[in-house]
Amino acid sequence: MAENTIKIPEFKAEWKEGEAGRWGMVIDTDLCTGCQACVAACAMENNIPFVGETDAAYGRSMHWLRVERFWEGEYPEVRTTDFQPVLCQQCGAAPCEPVCPVFASVHSQAEQINLQVYNRCVGTRYCANNCPYQVRVFNWRDWERPEPLNNQLNPDVTVRRRGIMEKCTFCIQRIHKAEDQAKAEGREVADGEVIPACAQVCPADAIVFGRLDDPESRVSQLAKSKRGVQLLEELGTQPRVTYLKGA
Amino acid sequence: MTKKLSRREFIKLAGAGAAVTVLTGCGPAARYVRREPYALMPEYNYNGQSTYYATTCRECPAACGLVVRTMQGRAIKVEGNQRNPVNLGKTCARGQASLHGLYNPDRIRNPLKQAGRGSGNFSDLDWEAAIQVVSAALKENRPSEIAFLLGLAPDHLFDLVNDLTKAIGAPAPVRFGALSMFESRVTLSQAAQNLFGKAGLPYFDIGRADLVFSFGANFLETWLSPVAYTRGYSQMRKGQSTRRRGTLIQFEARMSQTGAVADEWIPVRPGTEGLVALALGRLVAEISGAPLPKAFAGVDVAAAAAESGIPEETLHRLAKQYADATNPLAIPGGAALAQSNGLKNAESILALNALAGNLGQPGGLFFSPAAPLPDESHPASLAEMSELIQKLESGQVKALFIHGVNPVFELPKALGFEKALKSVPLVISFATFPDETAMQADYVIPDHHGLESWGYQRALTGAGQPVLSGAQPVVAPYYDTRATADVLLAAAAQAGGKLAEALPFKDEVAYIQSRLLPLVTTPDGPYTAPEINTFLASFQQYGGWWQNGEALTTPVGAPLEKTLAPGVAEAHGKGEFFLLSFVSPVLGEAGANKPWLQEIPDPTTTVMWNSWLEIHPAAADELGLHDDDVVRVVSEAGSVELPVYRYPAIRPDTIAIPFGQGHSAYGRYAQGRGVNPLDLVYPALNEAGDLALAGMKVRLEKTGRKQTLARLESRMGVYGEDEH
Repeated sequence: MAENTIKIPEFKAEWKEGEAGRWGMVIDTDLCTGCQACVAACAMENNIPFVGETDAAYGRSMHWLRVERFWEGEYPEVRTTDFQPVLCQQCGAAPCEPVCPVFASVHSQAEQINLQVYNRCVGTRYCANNCPYQVRVFNWRDWERPEPLNNQLNPDVTVRRRGIMEKCTFCIQRIHKAEDQAKAEGREVADGEVIPACAQVCPADAIVFGRLDDPESRVSQLAKSKRGVQLLEELGTQPRVTYLKGA
Repeated sequence: MTKKLSRREFIKLAGAGAAVTVLTGCGPAARYVRREPYALMPEYNYNGQSTYYATTCRECPAACGLVVRTMQGRAIKVEGNQRNPVNLGKTCARGQASLHGLYNPDRIRNPLKQAGRGSGNFSDLDWEAAIQVVSAALKENRPSEIAFLLGLAPDHLFDLVNDLTKAIGAPAPVRFGALSMFESRVTLSQAAQNLFGKAGLPYFDIGRADLVFSFGANFLETWLSPVAYTRGYSQMRKGQSTRRRGTLIQFEARMSQTGAVADEWIPVRPGTEGLVALALGRLVAEISGAPLPKAFAGVDVAAAAAESGIPEETLHRLAKQYADATNPLAIPGGAALAQSNGLKNAESILALNALAGNLGQPGGLFFSPAAPLPDESHPASLAEMSELIQKLESGQVKALFIHGVNPVFELPKALGFEKALKSVPLVISFATFPDETAMQADYVIPDHHGLESWGYQRALTGAGQPVLSGAQPVVAPYYDTRATADVLLAAAAQAGGKLAEALPFKDEVAYIQSRLLPLVTTPDGPYTAPEINTFLASFQQYGGWWQNGEALTTPVGAPLEKTLAPGVAEAHGKGEFFLLSFVSPVLGEAGANKPWLQEIPDPTTTVMWNSWLEIHPAAADELGLHDDDVVRVVSEAGSVELPVYRYPAIRPDTIAIPFGQGHSAYGRYAQGRGVNPLDLVYPALNEAGDLALAGMKVRLEKTGRKQTLARLESRMGVYGEDEH
């Protein structure tokens, strides 16, 4: 190789094979009842707009988190697969990141999660196209939020406009709040101190969140379970979300 | 009207609200909620810091506790109250979306007078005039001519109205709600009375069971206390007390969300649930080798298998499972009870618990603890509602007051509530939203939203201890509304005489304090207080009062000595399909006006924003029906038209329609969307006086039209599977 080759900057996160990653989540699908409380909590916490029937039918609904189920078998032995909440997997090697021409989809060094920088985003939608989990949602319009519904908006979370891609942030505003609090008190963030909206509401206690780089944390312990799988593991995206499958 | 908010405007708004709300302190002074300019904000309310208030969720009558995060006078996010024993910090989707009720753009903003019922021709009324109307109605009508219809929640308003009606000798207020009707609560309570000699809501200890036979109980959706039962389910799955993963078997004609997480779904023919329970009981008794109890002696297993459509081998296998389980539990759900033989079905299913010897045992059947304040009421059965409707129709009632329920929508149309209203000279609604019933009222005197209100509410079931959940305003009332309790107190004072004497309270909070007095000296609570003001401060901070220890009671009696013969239910009407209407797990009975609830996909079909008809694909093929084909469902009582969803997990002889949509009023997000399956329901009753809702036969007609349902499945991501 000639020395004057143009050096292409490394857009991808600097992850190492097998590295734990900082924040992570475990979802026990044996406990999930598909009640959708997490979906509602996510929408309320993160100022997610609703789009109405027509646009929802076109697949433009803005759920950062959806609960999947699939049908298996034939009547009368028919059953659904376990309900499976699917959100941004916060990949260590995220396919959405290298395709963004404007660095709106970037990896955070501090939290080891995928960020979406709204004021960089120009709406190419390359990231959504490249996301194997289909968890990125695009603002096709400035969605209507009639007054006084705007009173409910969470001031900790940006309101997005038309033409911008968005997705689950692991409730980064809650992470920051807990970190600031811990820093002010001169200590580390304790396990269980940061709870994203979906985990906080879950009536079945199916969602656990915490530090994957702390081997003692509840989430690390659970992620080691023999039941643990990651979605589309074979793609090597290094997801930070582990699902506990089976009984 | 609609103002789009740019990011910049939002930051401006969030950073420096022009007027903010201040809730002062936690003592008795806290009842005075004021809006203050930002400059006068008390020192504890920092800019950029949230304030949290404990209150009670009013989206259903389960009495879950909430802690609402507020910021500068705005409610931002609802969380569960970790201290409340009913929900221990969790909520359901409906609770989360309650803020979309609080800030709903279609709320009623001030008292209204309607010229011509149903005309929508409203004119504004000032509060003095509104109270005058109520006062005159109470004073000028004979007591027997006054009727109060209230919602399901056993709350302070019910107590107040009860005191009021007692004072003047008027009939006691009637409590009703669609949830109670769909769950056949009266039947369940009556069955408990027949078997154990005590009426009341049983408590099913799912958390400590290792095998649950649920006969159509949708306890993970809307049934009785869904958040509490979901916690129980989670504990059962984790095997927290049995150290084994518990198993759930669901017997129902249509796979509900609860059925979807069950280990096995048994598609039983509607109306044969009791028969199946008896057959299982007989087989279990035979396996255990004990003498056959009288309760199960009369059943023929082969006949039960044939009637129910469950193969005999399956019954044998399930019976073995039940006999081998350490802590088996059987739960009768709403649909099994909403049959002509519903009461017998309930008794047969409850008898399985006695057979397992789990009465009062961990993982077994209990009675829910009595509420800390005595509850003088029970939800009305359909028979009692029919009585009320007859009274309305015959002109016996001259003034009808309605609060917390929307009977025009929540009762089967065939029962004729709306028609009966025409014979009532004065109808006063206290609705927060312009619902169907408010549209048929002469006056709408709006109550605050639940999150703006004071109160307390008994938890009827769900927790192991007696619970009184407390409510306080988390924000200042957004509109010119007034607490219905305050309106009634003011009207009583104005009316004078016996009424004023019986209700000598300055306002709602004074009334609540008077009711809470006995609790101040009751031991074993979460806090102690020397007098009522301090007690009320703690009551607000903790979000209620509850006893520390478990107070579940053990059912006693000899239910196995009873002869049980539920037989097969008689289906009402003609047609090839059983009609099963179920409460939408997401919308519940009153969620349709909350846009985010509308946008949450139904758990099993993933449909949003509309109603659908579930039909087995084989039955659909026979009729040539595809997804999204609009069909007409015709019953004895009426007909509705809605699109088809080919549902793989439903009996081929059954169709299902969710309840929750089909509003003709109730604001922009609810109105004119979907259909109400109650329009199809013929008001046949079971022995306990509940509606035999699940025992209806209907037929289908093709319309040749198509209407695309908004579904999440197959349309995931930015690029859906289908072209648009």
